[in-house]
Amino acid sequence: MARTRTRMAVFGGLFRTGVSLGQSSLLLCTRQFATGTCLCVRMHAIPKLKNVDRWTEKRSMFGVYDNIGILGDFKAHPKDLITGPVWLRGFRGHELQRLTRKKQMVGDRMMLQDRHNLAKRISFLYRRFNRYGKRR
Amino acid sequence: HSLVSSLSGESGLPANLRLPPNLIGAPREKRAPPTTSDLPVLRKCEADIPAHRTPTRTWLESLISRDSEHLGVVDLHPDVFSVPVRLDILHAVEVWQRNFKRISHAKVKTRAEVSGGGRKPWRQKGSGRARHGSIRSPLWRGGGIAHGPRGPTSYYYMLPMKVRVQGLKIALTSKLTQDYLHIVDSLEIPTPDAHYLQDLMKHRQWGDSVLIVDVGEEFPQNILQATASLKTVNIIPAIGLNVHSMLKHESLVLTLEAVKFLEKKLLWHDCRFTPLYPFKLPYSDLP
Repeated sequence: MARTRTRMAVFGGLFRTGVSLGQSSLLLCTRQFATGTCLCVRMHAIPKLKNVDRWTEKRSMFGVYDNIGILGDFKAHPKDLITGPVWLRGFRGHELQRLTRKKQMVGDRMMLQDRHNLAKRISFLYRRFNRYGKRR
Repeated sequence: HSLVSSLSGESGLPANLRLPPNLIGAPREKRAPPTTSDLPVLRKCEADIPAHRTPTRTWLESLISRDSEHLGVVDLHPDVFSVPVRLDILHAVEVWQRNFKRISHAKVKTRAEVSGGGRKPWRQKGSGRARHGSIRSPLWRGGGIAHGPRGPTSYYYMLPMKVRVQGLKIALTSKLTQDYLHIVDSLEIPTPDAHYLQDLMKHRQWGDSVLIVDVGEEFPQNILQATASLKTVNIIPAIGLNVHSMLKHESLVLTLEAVKFLEKKLLWHDCRFTPLYPFKLPYSDLP
């Protein structure tokens, strides 16, 4: 930041005189603004390696009971093992399908603002899929 | 066979196959499978074996003492433990196990959901600035995201049942052929000490991690206590067997009952009818 300001101060005076004198190649190289943002990653040292424990309880028991159907007399299905929102267990679909399913299953116990946003999004996606574009 | 080495005066092996002389820990030697021995077979397969195939033979071991030699030879069904190894099916089943349970909760607000932004910030013409309709459009800092992740997404899908069954058979076959499968008569150990199990694994060269499988919900207390304190040694019931756990753990230990259970469950799919309705509803000939 300080470097660009001093540069601007040095060449600022020249700029005003340079316009009247005509183009000089020195003036074409200057810029009166900063192009870098503050988001550049700055590293003062090589970062430390992250130590991942590959044998935690969750990682060592991952996938157990996935074959509960074929090995367990089909009393349960692997989709019963999935933990998550009610409207997504054992279901896959694109956004409109997921949202309409959520409205059917959980809509009456949602908060007001969430339900309003859900209805707006459903109507937006419905119009988008069925009225605009080549595929409708 | 002569191997041409780029450097003159080196030993026959190329550089990437030569072991360094100061390597700690002897490389694993595979045991010879009991093909030509005259030992009596301690367990025969209950299911019928096709006429053109012979049963696969392995050693039967015991966990009672560290230095006990194998107790004998057992027969394993070739259609479960000697199937052609299809790595693509194994990969497909492993990827399925990772993804079908996955629900990603990533969600960002669109311009309609971000608070504010109902009013037009300045008039359309005359102010000299670019025209805008709301301060929360995706162009603005602090505005909504146009095409971001929306809501909890599920990645659920099911592979055909026979593909999953074949994946299990292929995993068992690979463990057997790579000498990582051990059949044990029962899971009784003399002490509930974790060091005893680790000593046994080191002595018998079972590898770093062991998966112990038995049928039923009751396990001997000694082995439960020993495995409770160890991270890399895990014990699961036979219903919980799956390809991911078999690939994660280096070695697999099955009891004789577990072998019988797995053979019965996995061989049924070779000669069943296609389901007219899901198997969880009652069938007259299924138990």
